[in-house]
Amino acid sequence: MRRALICGFLAAMVVASGCGGSSSSGSGGTVNIVLWHGYVDTEGKAMTAAAKAFNATHPKIHITVQNYGNSDYALNKVLTAIRAGSYPDIVYLYGSWAANVAQTPRAVDLKPMIQADPSLNWNDFWPAARKAVSVDGKIVGVPALIDNLSLVYNPKLFQQAHVPYPTANWTWTDFRNAAKKLTDSSAKQFGWAYVNDASEDTVWRFDALLWQAGGNILTPDNKHAAFNSAAGVRAATLLQQMATVDHSVYLDSGNDNYANLFNSGKIAMLYTGPWDLAGFPNVKYRVQILPGDQNHQTISGPDQWVMLDNGSARTKAAWTFLKWFTSPQQVMKWSLATGDLPTRASVVNLPQYKQYLAKYPGIGTFVANLKNALKARPVLTNYNEISAAMGQAIQAVLLGKAQPKQALDQAAQQVNQILASGQ
Amino acid sequence: MIARFLRSEHVAGWAFVLPATALIVLFGIVPIGWALLLSFQQNDLLTAPKYVGLDNYRNLLHDPVFRDSVRRTIVYTLLFVPLSVGGALGLAVLLNARLRFSRFYRTAVFIPVATSTVATAIIFNWLLDPTYGLANFLLGKVGLGPYGFFTDPDQAMYAIVAMTVWGWIGFDVIIYMAALQGISPDILEAAELDGSRGWSTFRHITLPLLSPATLFLIVWSTINALQVFDEIYVTTRGGPLQATTVIVYYLYSQAFQFFHAGYAAAIALVLFAATLVFSVIQLWISSRRVHYSS
Repeated sequence: MRRALICGFLAAMVVASGCGGSSSSGSGGTVNIVLWHGYVDTEGKAMTAAAKAFNATHPKIHITVQNYGNSDYALNKVLTAIRAGSYPDIVYLYGSWAANVAQTPRAVDLKPMIQADPSLNWNDFWPAARKAVSVDGKIVGVPALIDNLSLVYNPKLFQQAHVPYPTANWTWTDFRNAAKKLTDSSAKQFGWAYVNDASEDTVWRFDALLWQAGGNILTPDNKHAAFNSAAGVRAATLLQQMATVDHSVYLDSGNDNYANLFNSGKIAMLYTGPWDLAGFPNVKYRVQILPGDQNHQTISGPDQWVMLDNGSARTKAAWTFLKWFTSPQQVMKWSLATGDLPTRASVVNLPQYKQYLAKYPGIGTFVANLKNALKARPVLTNYNEISAAMGQAIQAVLLGKAQPKQALDQAAQQVNQILASGQ
Repeated sequence: MIARFLRSEHVAGWAFVLPATALIVLFGIVPIGWALLLSFQQNDLLTAPKYVGLDNYRNLLHDPVFRDSVRRTIVYTLLFVPLSVGGALGLAVLLNARLRFSRFYRTAVFIPVATSTVATAIIFNWLLDPTYGLANFLLGKVGLGPYGFFTDPDQAMYAIVAMTVWGWIGFDVIIYMAALQGISPDILEAAELDGSRGWSTFRHITLPLLSPATLFLIVWSTINALQVFDEIYVTTRGGPLQATTVIVYYLYSQAFQFFHAGYAAAIALVLFAATLVFSVIQLWISSRRVHYSS
């Protein structure tokens, strides 16, 4: 209702934004480049430290790092900046936007540079991350972050309820039964939590279940919905049974209360990633791979460093920075400082890796679980619309407002229309 | 000649209003014109736009989600405006009386207006949490509930109404209190001499003299209610199951989640036209019911 917000959106669409990106070649042949990111706290400090270290060792290039606020809205901001003609050289963007980014002529296709440079060792990046930055034969980014969903649990609540700890062989049935036993309505304690705001947060946890049951989101040619298969219905039925029959799931309305509640010992198990671990100082949590159905697949959310074209000198400088910043040594340093999973597989062999495992309890399971991240979400410009349709269906099932089959069929029909309209 | 022109009052006047005018043109008029242009395009803000004529408007007519969002916006407005304006009138009359701690109460009523929407949202998210919230705890003590509030498609809109009335009533109260203090005591004394008391004085003297304030608040609140967005964006995000997807939220998701900027611009212009029509009707109806002299 505070209209300034809306006016701001509209204004931003037409008025050149003054912030960032406008630096040019400085004195003495130094090339100035700008990087936009959304890191705060520990990661923000690590980002600043990395830029400082780079500038100290590369006298011909000066990089300035700027925080663009919440990464959730970064695509809008970057598009606005591009329209205004004043944009950074490197920007942190979510992997799900790769297809959108690939459409702008300002995005640099990194493929020629990657192919020309074997020292980069491109195949050292995890497969799911490489898949996520490849669009129609182009490579639009360098992996910036990789994570995955694993089962994070509170051992104390398991002991209290006399439930054995989750194993790597847990089935959906084991999981459901445990969640039920770990639920105590009088103590307002739940076995599991699910983010039920119909956003991508709701959808990607479902995607993992769908893949575990042997299903797919779309048909292989990306032309039709495939999530309303028997596997999809099986996955949605698990959610339905747990939420509306067992009542063993805390349905988070999208404000991330679940993290506080887990930290307060009110929730026994979460499907979550390494980014949440710092929020659980009060729980001696442990980590296990996800329970399985036909398999134990997980889903990963790879994010990327995208390069935007501000002329060849700046592009060259930006590439120099990215190569340096995503080298195994820097990746190890970053992971050690922030707890993020290493984006490169070879980092596991570095001497500091042991230090990393010791510093972040449970992180080893997340790294090991990367090998279960086999599939990627479709890289399409209208993925957001597909996700929204699926989100509505899953939410309806969780709230007990629709049957799994009926909800998924309806969403599939919408998705087919979206895919057919092709925009 | 030029020197005389530069010294004339017109130039001085325009020079003074120029900064404000420039800002209004740049941030108000230009975007509206641009949005109009955008509404005739298929535009994803990325690739070259394509002119599609009136297609966006035609599609709006057949869009069930848009139709539902219009219905929800009207329901919201019909609840929000009477509750906030009527409630504010009652509160203003109470606060205008000579009470102990009246300054404290006045401040307390206004604080929500000055509080950021995000802070308000965090408070309400926890207060109205179905499992752990204070609201259900207290209602449970008197045998009611538990309610789902923001998490129940049938209740979320009412929770939004409650939150926004709470958040905005202070502004209306301030306007009414200023208006109440502007009523000359002479008139009230004259009414008393003529034998008018209590409710009768309020109904026949005070209320009509407050009518300019009432008109302003109804028009202002209606415009605001038709454009409700922030409070929904920071709490329910249009859900659950689109139960709080009002027009502007739908516009936002079309423009900034799905990148259908042309379609979103068409929604914005339809809303703009509707708001204009509502406001003109309100002003016309009240032109004969508002008493400006006191």
